[in-house]
Amino acid sequence: MMATRHRRFLLSVFLVLLPWLVAGPPLRGQDHPRRIVSLIPAVTEMLFALGAGDRVVAVSSFDRYPPEVEKLQRVGALLDPDLERILSLRPDLVAIYGSQVDLRRQLDRAQVPVFVYSHAGLADVTTTLLQVGDRVGQRERARQLAGAIEAGLAETRQRVASRPRPRTLVVFGRESFTLRGIYASGGYGFIHDMVTAAGGDNIFGDVKREAVQATTELILARRPDVILELRADPLSLSDAKREVATWGQLGSVPAVRNSRVHIIQDARTVIPGPRVAEGVELIAGVLHGAR
Amino acid sequence: MTQRDANARTVGRRLTLTLVIFGGLTLAAILGAPLIGSTPISLTRVFDRSIPFADNTDAQIFFVARLPRTLAGALVGAMLASAGVVFQGLLRNPLATPFTLGVSAGAALGAMLAITFGWSLAWLGAPAAPLASFAGSLMAVAIVYALATARHHGLSTNVLLLAGVTMNAFFSALILFVQYFADFSETFRILRWLMGDLDISSYQPLVTALPLVAISFAVFAWLARPLNLLNLGADAAEARGLDVLRAQRAAFLSASLATGAAVSVGGPVGFVGIVVPHLVRLLVGADHRIVLPASALFGAAFLIGCDALARTVMSPLELPVGVITALIGGPFFLWLLVRRT
Amino acid sequence: MLQAAEVTFGYTEAPVVRDVSLEVPAGGFVGIIGPNGSGKTTLLRLLAGTRKPQRGAIFLDGAPLGSIRRAEVARRMAVVPQETHLAFDYSVLEVVLMGRYPHLGAFEIEGPRDIELARTALAATGTGALEARDFTTLSGGEKQRVIIAAALAQISASERTAEQPAILLLDEPTAALDLKYQLETASLLRTLHHAHALSVVVSTHDLNFAASLCTTLVLLRGGQVLAAGPVTDVLTPARIRDLYGVDAEVTRHPRTGHLTVVALSACGPHEATE
Repeated sequence: MMATRHRRFLLSVFLVLLPWLVAGPPLRGQDHPRRIVSLIPAVTEMLFALGAGDRVVAVSSFDRYPPEVEKLQRVGALLDPDLERILSLRPDLVAIYGSQVDLRRQLDRAQVPVFVYSHAGLADVTTTLLQVGDRVGQRERARQLAGAIEAGLAETRQRVASRPRPRTLVVFGRESFTLRGIYASGGYGFIHDMVTAAGGDNIFGDVKREAVQATTELILARRPDVILELRADPLSLSDAKREVATWGQLGSVPAVRNSRVHIIQDARTVIPGPRVAEGVELIAGVLHGAR
Repeated sequence: MTQRDANARTVGRRLTLTLVIFGGLTLAAILGAPLIGSTPISLTRVFDRSIPFADNTDAQIFFVARLPRTLAGALVGAMLASAGVVFQGLLRNPLATPFTLGVSAGAALGAMLAITFGWSLAWLGAPAAPLASFAGSLMAVAIVYALATARHHGLSTNVLLLAGVTMNAFFSALILFVQYFADFSETFRILRWLMGDLDISSYQPLVTALPLVAISFAVFAWLARPLNLLNLGADAAEARGLDVLRAQRAAFLSASLATGAAVSVGGPVGFVGIVVPHLVRLLVGADHRIVLPASALFGAAFLIGCDALARTVMSPLELPVGVITALIGGPFFLWLLVRRT
Repeated sequence: MLQAAEVTFGYTEAPVVRDVSLEVPAGGFVGIIGPNGSGKTTLLRLLAGTRKPQRGAIFLDGAPLGSIRRAEVARRMAVVPQETHLAFDYSVLEVVLMGRYPHLGAFEIEGPRDIELARTALAATGTGALEARDFTTLSGGEKQRVIIAAALAQISASERTAEQPAILLLDEPTAALDLKYQLETASLLRTLHHAHALSVVVSTHDLNFAASLCTTLVLLRGGQVLAAGPVTDVLTPARIRDLYGVDAEVTRHPRTGHLTVVALSACGPHEATE
């Protein structure tokens, strides 16, 4: 049993620290940040779409849109954020991934406000948009933009509602010129949501994971009617043709037999940002034909 | 039958018996594995000629997905197991594996470079990773060999071991360095490659590897007796009339070739090269003339079995085959250690 | 017979064996004596042909060793190394059968004749009962005798006449053995020498062992021959003082009839002659 005076000492220490434990360290002014660093391409797009683009001082190494970002500084990305460079820009808001816990701790210690982004489903795009809008003082504009996105998605959904849903294999990664290491979308995540909204039936929709390593056997057994390969980086025409031809190994798959293997090289289909409705419409066009 | 009579059975007869038993096991594995999988198929439908092949899903799964995979398992398993035997005989160490001397580290580096920097042999229309990994393994072999033969007299197995271990460390450092440049998906794919993948979905890699397999196995056949003699020590073997340098060179190069070929087909699948030789030696004794063919056959059956397990244990998802071999190999090693002390 | 003609050899720059000449006559029993590091093992390797001399040459029945095919040499000459460590569990019979390697083709399997010869060799060394045992489980003395049996199997049934008896080279055969096995090995070698008409070359630092078996001695110091000749001529207190820096008494033992060396005291540096 602790002596009474030790207990009293510990209690007083606890009481002194209590406000800190509850409120956290004091932050600098966060109402309308004027110097924003964004490590997430989707968030960057949202900032520009909300008219806060002129306040963005640096972006991630993977940002490509809008064209204005080409002039901005790069500070790394998910795996390699450059803390020094971030801090040297004296930001008053940094958008980071939820998994970047170390970075968050460092930024907290430097008393830099953060916006934590969690990667999730299609529905969360508008939620995130509203949160970003809140954070940069563009609440009304965010609401309008979110409404437009929802309307676009609803329109696409309605257009394809009466059409039969093709069984779709959505591939987001594999080795070049071979069918090894195919990674397809499972039943979770924003790519699955997009394809579903576009009127496709994800053949791995029953698998409760974001990514599935699709083996030859699985693909043959599930017989997709359409194969969509989503690529972020561009491919030359001849290479693209060859990549499509690689699927010829699986001759019995309906998608191969009916020449419905499509390589989609459009960033709108892989970034859960404000252009997501356009991405879904693009996919719907591939699955069901143009409007 | 007394011990004396048992030993009177010549090597010839023991070899025949071993080949029949292990060969039967391997044949059963090759025939049985394509029947196992996450999707149920019916054998009658598979061979039903009346259904056109393009419509026959069961036949497609059997001939396009499972059979190449089974054969790849046989090839990779046989090569890694027999290469393991040869390396253990060459280094006179039962703990040697096909990966001890840096061959697989070189292969891994080659594959990683191809994946990270998106190398492509577009003009060939062929995937770059297997070729790059084979080239990497050859480079590793060349460096280790040059280091080990730098001194005049012959090939020192001690220097070989040191050079191999050093190369492993060096290549691992390079691999980490290259990995830094890889983005998320590339890192993921590299990791998966490192765990082994037998889903080749076509017979092409097997056909390409066949000449290498033939050469390696031919040399292994010749090496069987020299490996027995090398066990006594290089000098003692030389005094018994063996051209020790030639035998060591042949052993190192052929086993490295087999390992490089196996790794470029299926990735660096671990533990096959050490679990199988040990098990086989427990069953048939130490004579390499029997251990080598038995290990090749048993290695094939073993890897086919592990792959079948990998495909079905978490159906419809799959574990990488290297995970299964590690899960079996780890406890096996522990048991070996406990048994010896 | 085996002959070394002014051979010089070193593993690195410095020669370990310098200008050594010696002769192993047909049916002879030669002992190579010297302190540790005097080059005994190296000389044995040169004689066996596992190392090539940098200067000079080794001759086997008049022909340079380098000109004879390896397998041919192995059929005439066998080496028993100081120690044998096996990495894997071979049986005793398998170890002895390995000695038949130079007699078989590349893919030829040992036949009944080879097995018979192996068994005969085991019997000759008194290890017939160990045939089915794992080699690694044997005692030091048993291992040594099995290796000698393997050497015998290696040189058996060669095409040889009385003028060209097979040669057995042993490197420090008693270094790791206790007294009983030392005696047994000595008597074994004596029997083999007489009964099988072998020429034997033994390297050892055990003077009494050498004296009890050898007809000729070669004293080696610093890689050079200090003296060579019949045992009685060479094994003198003066020579022993030169070689080992030890004062010793050499007498003929009444019971065994062999020369016996008893070390008395170590010489101080000023007493040792050059």
